[in-house]
Amino acid sequence: MSGVIPDCRHARLHIGADPQHLPADVRAHVSGCEGCRHFLDESLGLDARVRRAMELPLGQFRATGSATARAPRRLALAASVVLALMIGGGFWFLQATPALAGEIAEHVMHEAGSWDRQEPLSAAAVGEVLRQAGVQFDSSFPVVYASACPFRGRRIPHLVVQTPEGPLTVMLLAHETVAAPREFSEQGLSGMLLPAGSGGVAVLARAGEVPGDLAGRIVSGVRW
Amino acid sequence: MNPAPRGTTVASAFTRLLEMLRPDLLRFAYWLARDRSIAEDVVQETLVRAWKSRAELKDPAAARPWLFTILRREHARLYERKRLPTVDVDELEALGDPALASDGEAGLLDLRRAILQLPDEYREPLVLQVLGGHSTAEIAAELELTQAAVLTRLFRARNRLREVYGLEAAEDVE
Repeated sequence: MSGVIPDCRHARLHIGADPQHLPADVRAHVSGCEGCRHFLDESLGLDARVRRAMELPLGQFRATGSATARAPRRLALAASVVLALMIGGGFWFLQATPALAGEIAEHVMHEAGSWDRQEPLSAAAVGEVLRQAGVQFDSSFPVVYASACPFRGRRIPHLVVQTPEGPLTVMLLAHETVAAPREFSEQGLSGMLLPAGSGGVAVLARAGEVPGDLAGRIVSGVRW
Repeated sequence: MNPAPRGTTVASAFTRLLEMLRPDLLRFAYWLARDRSIAEDVVQETLVRAWKSRAELKDPAAARPWLFTILRREHARLYERKRLPTVDVDELEALGDPALASDGEAGLLDLRRAILQLPDEYREPLVLQVLGGHSTAEIAAELELTQAAVLTRLFRARNRLREVYGLEAAEDVE
């Protein structure tokens, strides 16, 4: 495709198929075509809804394997899974799901050196991390640390931004549903979990609480 | 206190990973099977197989696509083994499944029903992409299709959903 300027038909095929990840030539076309830009905006809106729709609440599902008489083999399998997981130390079905906030704090503590970074990263370096995670973020503050970290089976951007109030860790959680803003305190860190479209954003402070206005500015720069 | 043996730590980390991904596995299975009981069974079998094959997973960040691939194969196997009948879209019991409306958000119920009514060839790549985080190249490899065919199927899947979302359908691609 390189060297060939795509037409609207070609651009819309890509936009309609995968609006989150457009090839460079299609992005270039969209930037100069009002109709395709409108189509992209519509498609991104639809995509967020489709994601929400697919993230079905699981309250109606059983917690463990089949309990019906028609599938005794599966009951045995379910039992073997539980046993295997307990042997593995997980106590899968007996433990409550670890809170998202706790996992975030634990992850941040493992990369505590990220707080000490002072030198702003280039837009290209930050962009590469965002690209790996398939998210967009226009930061109001200089980004001094950026890493695409494994988290809950995905790569997510783990960033540190320098604000007038000091460094803040920002984790962009495109695939976590955060229903409402909430503050948390885990492992000596204070943070906020904030809804952002179909996903969420975690903002953590090294010391003291996260200033709400700064967290709001950070979230406003996120686009999935 | 002695540190935990390395094998235990790795197994525990793997368990935790499975636990975190289980909700999305259930969702993926549901959108594939369009039946809650079948979805639950497929997930159980997927977990068993994943547990047995856990040494194959080298990068935890690749766990999601790895598990989705296992689940997809288990789903296909279940149909082969049990010869489950295919269901006419108009007779889909899932359309009345209370799980579809259980979060009460306006408009989502219609969209969920529309996703259920998509033909398998459109629904499967869409779910792999949206829930599984697969790229079009990965979907092509998974479904043994060309990337162009995957793009077309994804385009058509979304195009059918556009109208449910209140948008005009786009001109089809060929």
